[in-house]
Amino acid sequence: MSNPAKTVRITVDNQVIEAPEGATLLQVMLDAGLDIPHYCYHPKLSIDGSCRLCQVKIDGMPKLQISCNTQVRDGMVVHVADPEVELTRRGVLELLLLNHPLDCPICDKAGECWLQNFAMRFGARHARTIEPRRKHGKRMDIGERILLDQERCILCRRCVRFCREVSKTGELFVFNHGDHSLLDIYDRRLDNDYSMNVADVCPVGALETKDFHHRMRVWFLEETASVCPSCSNGCNIMISAARGKIWRLTPRRNDEVNDTWMCDAGRLNYKFVGDAGRLVTPLVAGEGGPAPANWDDALQRAAGAIGDFVKRHGAKALGGVASPHLTNEENFRCGEMLRAVGVERIAMAVPRGKHDDFLIKAEKAANARGVRELGLVAGPDDGLEELLRACEAGEIRGLYVCGGDLLEAAPAERIDAILGKLDLLIVQDLAARPRFARAAVTLPATTFAEKDGTFTNHAGRVQRIRRALATPPGWRADGEIFTTLLNTLAARSERFEIAAVWEAMSRDGGRFAAIAFDRIGPEGAPLDAA
Amino acid sequence: MAVQVVNVRRPAATFSSAKPWLAILKGMWVSTRHFLGNLGLFLRGRQDFAIHFPEQRLVQPPALRGMPVLARMADGKERCVACGLCEWACPTSCITIYPAETADEVERYPEIFDIDMSRCMFCGLCEEACPEEAIIMSRQLEIASYTRAGSLWHKADLLVPVEQLKTRTDYIRRNYER
Repeated sequence: MSNPAKTVRITVDNQVIEAPEGATLLQVMLDAGLDIPHYCYHPKLSIDGSCRLCQVKIDGMPKLQISCNTQVRDGMVVHVADPEVELTRRGVLELLLLNHPLDCPICDKAGECWLQNFAMRFGARHARTIEPRRKHGKRMDIGERILLDQERCILCRRCVRFCREVSKTGELFVFNHGDHSLLDIYDRRLDNDYSMNVADVCPVGALETKDFHHRMRVWFLEETASVCPSCSNGCNIMISAARGKIWRLTPRRNDEVNDTWMCDAGRLNYKFVGDAGRLVTPLVAGEGGPAPANWDDALQRAAGAIGDFVKRHGAKALGGVASPHLTNEENFRCGEMLRAVGVERIAMAVPRGKHDDFLIKAEKAANARGVRELGLVAGPDDGLEELLRACEAGEIRGLYVCGGDLLEAAPAERIDAILGKLDLLIVQDLAARPRFARAAVTLPATTFAEKDGTFTNHAGRVQRIRRALATPPGWRADGEIFTTLLNTLAARSERFEIAAVWEAMSRDGGRFAAIAFDRIGPEGAPLDAA
Repeated sequence: MAVQVVNVRRPAATFSSAKPWLAILKGMWVSTRHFLGNLGLFLRGRQDFAIHFPEQRLVQPPALRGMPVLARMADGKERCVACGLCEWACPTSCITIYPAETADEVERYPEIFDIDMSRCMFCGLCEEACPEEAIIMSRQLEIASYTRAGSLWHKADLLVPVEQLKTRTDYIRRNYER
């Protein structure tokens, strides 16, 4: 690639395509919308050239060439819809299928399997062999989260390259030569933090995640483009849901954030959405402890309690804890609501955990940066220590708490002592936690999969999340809770619609003003570029 | 995943290939045969031509599509591997499957296999989609129930020994292109 800016023109089946010089022919054809079958080529891995399926005819070349290892050159004439190419593909597919077990009915990849798809489209559709198929290891437990089926493997070596080049751990190898080749592990198990990506790059069902193994057929899954909520990196994901439940999360390509990868912890962190312990009705404090109430009563009770508290102790005695798990819009509305009441001290508790220099970030919440950008919190610890000291000093006697992260933000005795001293506690959380038992009102929170909105990742990229699951009728999502409280407490008549909230955010100034909501594309929009 | 169109080869029916006239003649021959047969019986003195259900029952032809059932193997296990193709093929979505893992060589089995018979329209697409000959349209027609819950058949109710389904499996092997 001497001069990447230079463009060349190539001809593929009479279609003229312009491409940067030195680009990979296969990628250029795929980008132009041509349907070229391939297995071993992956845009984010090195070239291997082992599957031989992407062969095309190039004028001036003595034989067919693999397009994944050919660079485009000006004036190149390529033939794809050519009898020789078609025959070659059929032959390659026949060889790949020679020993492939026909266990599609029990294979979790069936339905999104590249071998199935290409064999149906380009293959011969019938086997000519009568010999028995080779027998190798099935359901081999090669890692904490991954199963290997050696019979299904077509030896494209994508997983081997992934482990060498991306996770840089190198657990997987192909052993032996020729038709004795076998994929396996050698001296250590496939247990790296990104191991489940090998199931995504695997074009067949040879590598499967244990989490999705024999659980749901892929053709029933409805996919929703969203953002991983598990850390501040904001990896782009697809939420696969069916029958009112999430079955898996898979990474979605975004070259600015996560390429095509995501970490195992994030991928597996969806079970809290359908957890049996989730709070589904609001709870209000009664004589015998918290009792279920309907939404309207609970919200009225919360608004009434805040109003009374402010009258008795003044607005300065009320503090707020914003949640880094809520969207930008919800946090904006939360801030509007708290400030309309007169709350001055707002803090945020961000859960922290392990991090690395690739995708995993220490802040285990998706939108901490968004809360900071909105100006709700300030300071290196997001105002938390100041808020806790004010509580201990008795300056703050009431708290509006979003999320349960506050409980882990300081030693349990300290938090519990603070919570025990409060005159008013209103909690908005996923579960009814015993340590919040003194709450006057506990309102159920809504997870990332059940609402629309935007998250701001650690680098200031604003990205859309989308609703994948329905909430029960009558349910109030977090933004609607804040809006109802705002309307009641400040005699306003706002509605919680994301586009309208964005307009309010723009009027408010701040860095979100420069981004138009409908301009946030599939790759998100950076705050810095604005 | 992009939606993909797979073109299946279906030769266009022509007048000579589909032979509609032959079908009409065939049908008329069936009617005429029954008429002549019954006429002969009547002339020989038979008065009662009704079949006294439920004491008497017809042996139904193998082409009949009755209640879909699951084939049970000699070892008592189902043949079904819970691949979900019948569930997908079903136009009325009356089938619900939850797969689970087994230590057997087949790896998976249906932990839950429910058919809502009040929704089933006996089209037989599940049977045609099944790669394992596990779901079979039986000749069972008596599936009425007093309650809606009674119309929901679970796996244990649906299992039928595979020998009893031989007539139908022979028939589908002859007739379906696999």
